[in-house]
This record gives sequence, C-alpha cells and structure tokens, in this order.
Amino acid sequence: MKKDIPLFLGIILIVAVLVNGTHIQSVDEYYLTHIDDITPESKTVTLSIRCDTVLENYGDLDPALKSDGFVPPDGVILPPTEYVLREGDTVFDVLDRAVRYNKIQMEYQGSSESPFGSVYIQGIHWLYEFSCGPLSGWMYRVDGEFPHYGCSRYVLHDGQVIEWVYTCELGQDVGAEWMGGQGK
Amino acid sequence: MRAFAKLHPAVNLVYFLCVLSVCMFVPHPVLEAEALVGGALFCAATGKRGNIKGELLFYIPMFFIAAAVNPLFSHNGVTPLFFLNGNPVTLEALLYGVSMAAALVGALLWCKAYSGVMTSDKHLYLFGRLWPKLSLVLSSALRFIPVFLRQSRRVGRAQKAMGLYSGKSLTDRIKNKGRVLSSMVLWSLENAVEVSAAMRARGYGCGRKRTSFSLFRMRAGDKVWLSLCLALYAAVLAAALTGDLNFSFYPKIGEISLSAAALLGYAAFGALSLLPFAAEIKEAVQWRYCVSKI
Amino acid sequence: MEILRVENLSFRYPKAEGFALKDMNLSVQSGEFLVLCGPSGCGKTTLLRLLKKELSPAGELSGRVLYGADAPTVGFVGQNPEAQTVTDKVWHELAFGLESLGLPTEVIRRRVGEMACFFGIEGLFRKRTDELSGGQKQLLCLASVLVMQPQVILLDEPTGQLDPIAASDFIAALQKINRELGITVILAEHRLEDVFPVADRAAVMEDGQLLLCCPPRDVAAFLSALDGHHAMLRALPSAARIWQSLRLPGDCPLTVREGRELLERHCKTRGALLPEEERAHADDAALELKSVFFRYERDAPDVLRGASFTVYRGVIFCVLGGNGAGKTTLLNVAAGLDRAYRGKVSVFGKPVKDYKGGSLYRHCLALLPQDPQCVFAHDTVRADLYEMCEAAGIKKAEREERVREEAERLGVSHLLERHPYDLSGGEMQKCALAKVLLSAPKLLLLDEPTKGIDAFAKQSLCGIIKDLQKDGITAVIVTHDVEFAAESADRCALVFDGEILSADTPRRFFAENSFYTTAANRIARTLWKNAVSCAEVSERFLAEGEDG
Repeated sequence: MKKDIPLFLGIILIVAVLVNGTHIQSVDEYYLTHIDDITPESKTVTLSIRCDTVLENYGDLDPALKSDGFVPPDGVILPPTEYVLREGDTVFDVLDRAVRYNKIQMEYQGSSESPFGSVYIQGIHWLYEFSCGPLSGWMYRVDGEFPHYGCSRYVLHDGQVIEWVYTCELGQDVGAEWMGGQGK
Repeated sequence: MRAFAKLHPAVNLVYFLCVLSVCMFVPHPVLEAEALVGGALFCAATGKRGNIKGELLFYIPMFFIAAAVNPLFSHNGVTPLFFLNGNPVTLEALLYGVSMAAALVGALLWCKAYSGVMTSDKHLYLFGRLWPKLSLVLSSALRFIPVFLRQSRRVGRAQKAMGLYSGKSLTDRIKNKGRVLSSMVLWSLENAVEVSAAMRARGYGCGRKRTSFSLFRMRAGDKVWLSLCLALYAAVLAAALTGDLNFSFYPKIGEISLSAAALLGYAAFGALSLLPFAAEIKEAVQWRYCVSKI
Repeated sequence: MEILRVENLSFRYPKAEGFALKDMNLSVQSGEFLVLCGPSGCGKTTLLRLLKKELSPAGELSGRVLYGADAPTVGFVGQNPEAQTVTDKVWHELAFGLESLGLPTEVIRRRVGEMACFFGIEGLFRKRTDELSGGQKQLLCLASVLVMQPQVILLDEPTGQLDPIAASDFIAALQKINRELGITVILAEHRLEDVFPVADRAAVMEDGQLLLCCPPRDVAAFLSALDGHHAMLRALPSAARIWQSLRLPGDCPLTVREGRELLERHCKTRGALLPEEERAHADDAALELKSVFFRYERDAPDVLRGASFTVYRGVIFCVLGGNGAGKTTLLNVAAGLDRAYRGKVSVFGKPVKDYKGGSLYRHCLALLPQDPQCVFAHDTVRADLYEMCEAAGIKKAEREERVREEAERLGVSHLLERHPYDLSGGEMQKCALAKVLLSAPKLLLLDEPTKGIDAFAKQSLCGIIKDLQKDGITAVIVTHDVEFAAESADRCALVFDGEILSADTPRRFFAENSFYTTAANRIARTLWKNAVSCAEVSERFLAEGEDG
C-alpha cells in the first residue's frame, strides 16, 4: 500500500489539473456571443465565407456531405458582413466571433498544436480539409491577397475585407499563385 | 472443446484473414457489432472459465476509454452536446467513438483468438511450405532458446556457488553477467558444432531435396469449412462493393441501409463471425449426446 | 555375412603428436552386437566417427573402411542427448532424418508412427523436446536415427549422461532392436555391467590399438593373462571382477545370477555379517538440515518435504536416490542457491541466511555442479584457475604457486594449457574440482561427480576425495552411482519423495537394501549380507577358504 501513495497523489494531481483546465459550456452558452453594435466611430472589417469551388468539383465531395444543408447551392456560407474590429484583432478572432454569432460549426487546431505556429482552420460548416479531394482545404484572402502566414498572426486594420474560401486545388482554383498552401 | 483450433492451419489462417480484413476495411456499425459478438462468444467458449472475469475487467474499461477519447479530439458533427474549452463535443463524434471502440475491442478479441488458435507449430507449417529452410531454422531456434536459458541459469548459479562475483555490489553483478555471457558464447559454439554433427548424421545436407513433414492433413471437413468461409467472405465483399455498406458518422450520422445487398452483407458477415463459436457449440452438443448414449 | 571391415586403419588429428588410431583391423558381422571398450582417450570415438562418413574428422588417414556388398546405411547416436536434439517437437525430431531424405509426407507419417509404437513413446509424440527426461531424450535420439532404417547403428557412450535405471532401459532397447530387427549394433561404452551380458563380442582398445576382440566371457581371462592388474579389469561387470580376482575355474560369470551361483558353489558360508568398522568423526556438524521444505513455485508441489540430516565435520557423505527425488535440489538448498520456505539450514553451526554478501562461498563452502562445463569460461584451464584465484583474494605473487599446488594435488598439471571443452569427462571433472578448491572450502558439495566418466577416472576421483578428507575437507556427494558411493562414502543416505529416508554406514545401508545396492552386494548377499564392494567379497572368500 505504501508504494501506491505516490501513485494516488499523482492521479489526484493530474485530475486536479484537468478539472482546472477544463471549461465546459452548454450549447446556448457557447453561441451567446456578444457582438459589438456598429456605431459611426467604430472600426470595422468585412468577412465572407464561400465554397464555390466545391460546386465545381462536386464529384470529389465526400458522399456524406452531398446535401444542400452542408454545401449551399450558391456556395455562400456567410455573405459579406461587416463586423466591429476590436483593438489587436486578428483574422482568426474575427472569424471566431462571426461563426459563433451565426452558429456556424467550426473546428480548428490551436496555435500550440499546429506546425505553423498559428491557429489552423480544419473545417467550417462541416466542410473539412480533404473533404473534397486530397488538395482541398480552407484559405483566406485579405483585400484580394493571400497572406503567407497563419490567420491568428494577421492583425487587421480598419476597413479590410476578409474572404474565407474553400479550395480544391491547393489554392490554384481561387487565385493564389504560390503553392505553399499555408495561408489558411 | 477446441473444435475450431483442430481444423487445418490453412483454414484457420484464411478464416482469420477474412474476418480481420472485413473488420479493418469495411467500417460499418452492424458489421462491427457482429465481429464483437462473434469474437467475444468464441473467446468465452474456448477460454478458461476462471479467466472470464479478468478479461471483462480488461475489455470493458478499454471499450469506454476508447469510446471517450474520440469526442475529445474530433469536433465534427451537426449535433453539439456541449462545448469543452471552446470546442464542441458532438453526438456524432461520441457515437463514432463508440463504434471505433467496438471495432477495436472486436479486433483485439479476434487477435486473442488468433494467438490462441495459431500456435507456433501452425505458423511453422504454413510458412515452412513457402520456405522449408525457414521452418527448420525457426524450429531449431525454438528448441535452442529454452536450452540456452536453462544453461545460462546453471552457469550463473555455478559461479555464485564458487564465490565468483557473488557479492551484491553493482560491479560484481556486472562482472557476473559478463562472465556468464562469455561462458555461454563458448557453450553455444560447442553446442552448434554438436547439433550440426547430429544433423549431418541424420542426412541433412546430403544433397537430396528436403521435404517438410507435418502432422496436419486436409480433411473433407476442412474443405467444407474453407469453401463456406470463402463463400461468406465473397458475399460480404460483393455487398461492400455495391456501396451499400458505406457508412459515415460525419457530419451527420448516416442511415443503416436496408437494401437487399446490405442485408446480404450483414447476414453473411454475421454467419462468418459466428462460425467458430457454432463449431464449438456443435462439438459440445455432440459430446453431451455421446456421453448420454453411453 | 560381413557387413563392415576396418583394414589397417590409422588416423592422426591435425597438429596432434601421436596417432589416435594405429593399425586397426576389425571385422563386424551382420546382425552382431559389438561393444567397444577401453579407457577415455583410447580412440573409441575416433573409430566410430570414421565409420560414419558424414562425421569423419579431418586429419591424416591411412588404411580403409569397407562396407558390405549392399552398401549398408549407418546411423549414429552420440553421448549427449541434449546436443543431438535438433527440433522443438518430438514428432518433428522423429521426422527430421526422413525429411532430409526427401520422403513424401505419407511415408514419413507411417514410419514415424511405427517407430513411436515400437519404442512405446506414443505418449510423448506431441510434446516439446525440452520437456523430456534425459532417458526419454536419448531414446528419442535412438528412435529418430532408427526411422531412417539403418542396417548398422553406431553409439558413442549413449548412457554417459543417464542415471543407472534409464541407462539399463536404454541398453534393453538396444538389445531389442538388435534381436528383433537384426540391426548391427556397435556400441562404445564404459559402463559394462549391463552391456556385457547382451553383447556378442567385446573389442578392448588401448592407445589407439585393438587389444583384443572376443566374446565378453573371455575378456576377463584374456586381460588377466595379459596383465593381472590391467586398468580395464576394473571396468568389467562385478561378477567377472570377482571371478578374475579369485581365479576360480569354469566360465567367467557376467550377470549377478551367474556370479552368485559360482560363489555359492565354492563357499558354504550363508548369511554371515562382516564386522562393522567404526569410523571416527568430529562431534560438530558441518552441514545440518532440519525439516526443510522447498518448492520452485508457489503452486508447484514440494520438492523437499521435511528433509533432515546432519553431516559431521570430516565425513564423506553420499546422498543416493532416483531421478527427480530431489537430490540436486537438496544440494542447492544446502549451498544457499535456493531458499527453503520452511526449516533450517546451517553450515558449520551458522544459518545459511546469516552468511552475508557471498561470505558463505569464501573459504567455507563450494558446490561443484552436475555439468562441469558450467564452471569454465576461458580458453585455457590455467586462465580459469587464475580467475578463481583473483576472486578468492589470493595475492598475485602467490597465484602461480597455488595453481601449481592445486593442479598437482588433482593430477591435472599436464592439462593446464588445454581448452576446457576439449577435455574428456574425467579430466574436465578434475579440472573443475581444482578450480572450486582454489577458494579453499571446508565443505565441498558435489553433484553427480561420476556422470559420464569411465571406471578408471572414477577410481582416481574416489582417491582424490579421500585425500581431501585427510586435509580436513567435508564432502557431501549426491549421486546415483551406488558403486561409487559404496567405495567412497563414510555414510550413505537415501532421498525419496523429498525426504531423507535412512542415513547409515555403507555396510549397514546397503545390507538393508535389496534392490538399491551394488552388484557385488547382490552377488554375495546370500553369503555375507553386508559385503559391498568386489574387493571385500574377494577378500572374505579367500579368508574363508575354498571349502566346497
């Protein structure tokens, strides 16, 4: 029994850390995101989410996703909308607020888990990377250009336009010339 | 009560390959459940009575842990139950976890059954057919290992009783092991010379082509088994190829198909995974019947 | 019909000075049972290996070996069953030779089955080979050679590693294949008690030459005509030895029955008892076991069940018993290698568990294991002895002196530069003993020291142990060799079922036993109940005169 005491202590410690680091929210609580009201003096950015390329490559799409509920017929998941820009907001912060507000499903890898040192968006609206062919995934464009780094490192300025687009060909089909594919 | 294990090794091997390949490549909740039930029943029928409790204590927590892990890491699915550190825990991910856990435990049970049924001599026989030298090498290695271990224990004790490095200090212990090792190298060389002489004395390397003898023979029953097993496997494969056995959990749980092809697939795999258990039961019943006649 | 002939055969190993075989001439008839005997190193093994082409050693060869007209196939069985077993399963072992011949499965199946039935080893058929006892292993070796249907079978001291009961079973099996299958048997052997009565001819070899080759009954007469004190006389069956030393008329007896008939014909004494010689010993115990219980695993049955005995200082104590009676375990427990879970083991009055950090093995107790190979780890005997000096804490300057001393005491000085594995059984046993003795033990434990050694080496080992006794060393010897125990021991004890049944002087001990006793005692027991050795029987006979 004596030998087991350190073991018990260890287990208690791990459980305590886990409980402390866990934050459980109900569904309603989670989506109850406060969006700042737009006032004349507030800075804003415009955000849209589209998946037009999926419609062009519908044959490659995961059969389980072949439904209007997952891929809107017009390719628009979120039409261009203006959001208030808080001080120091990154592309990710705005996206996170927007999808929560609109109750759009999103899954991402935190910046510590991702190999890019930035948050990596795995899927939006149940459309995941590789859901539509092996070269598919989410990318973002700010003012028409694909940045070369992660979305949680891009700090926004007033009036910028952010577009999240789904690519099926590593960016080529959405106009990204470089082949890195890291701009998601 | 080992009716299945008494079949020809090739039948055993083909059977296990069929079941395990379906388990691995056709993920479908019905098939997974069937594999789990079949494996569990077979293991229960052939295992030792006293062990069942211990096995349950291993597999049930295993099942729950495997089922709980998936929703923590996968957040896909249209039905969020609650959010954990900002990530949704969804019903789909939870059910997918349960399904994976069932598949995992089922595969483990079948692997356990495999290791119980496919003993070393059966492997030797099967792979010896492909490469006779290998089977001989393995067989003599299996012979050599226990003899080697016994001899090295003897040497270690002999040294201890002579007072050679018998102290408890670390240097003594290291020296002791080193000495046992050097003594065993000598012994192994000597042994190898003697064994090779014994092999030559019994015609090894006389220039004639070696045959490979085994105690196993293909009986009519084995052939029936083999054809039954392959027929059922073909039926499952055919059903899988129609696409009716495709099933997805994400983003929304699919429907369990009830088409004719799918039903055939369920029935065929159910029969396939219950075959060994049925064989055990049949033998047990026959035995009862025989005993009651006497 | 002649099946095999050796003509002017000479052989010399590479780099060896002398010839291993010199001008051998030997003719073997088909269906004959021939025993090759002679002291270790006389060339028996070399001759047998030259007769089996596949095993012929490399070296300088002249003369030739001729086989009979129909080119008979020759089988070979060696001394160590452990090293001759190739595969892990009994059935595979039996089939191995036939696989090599490339026979189809159905033929192999029939031959293997037939052979298993003939030897009555069906029960072992599916077992692992390392689960078998020594006797079963050697029988398996024989059977797996016989499945290849040889006309001639050569055996090189096949009973060397077996206990007496397994050995006589093995000889009986040989007799069976000779009588019932007509297979020619050529057997090199030093344990002649069981072999002489069944052999057709015996060939005695010495220094690579054939000394004589005649029916076993004539061997004793020929040998004593050659030299009355020939070393080989010691190796003969007890009945023949008694007949030879008494120079009685008539045919030489070979079995116990014949020997007893002969003695009873010539001497009228019945049921007399020889006087008991009192042997002095010290009062303090060197080794004491008090109701010791031991088992190897928690669920395994007890190997020792309340074994108790006392060995007084300065005594040679022999522990006899059959296989699996717990003899070796008893020694291991006494040597502190295995720990008794109940009972008390003390060495020189101090419990074994109180000797800390290996102090038990320094100048106190030493154990010589059954297999002397275990003792060696170096390329030469000398290196092994030096290593022991180092461990025993002998100063560098004294080491050479000590090694020389010990080597001389055991008569192994000429072997110091040899490789331990190249020594004969008797030589290896003596070198191992020399190594063990360098730690200057006061209590010596010997496990089966006579295993695999010839009569001459046995005699010299017996002398060595008695010399050690004079130097004040107490010896506990575990053996199933009753003859050796009778000659060397001051006290004998029988282990049975994990207990010590009786401990007494050899005379009283063997007089009480009627089966488990020496051949000489069985021959003479109607005359003198407690005469144990051949020498004693002869002596009494001459003293009481030939009054028949």
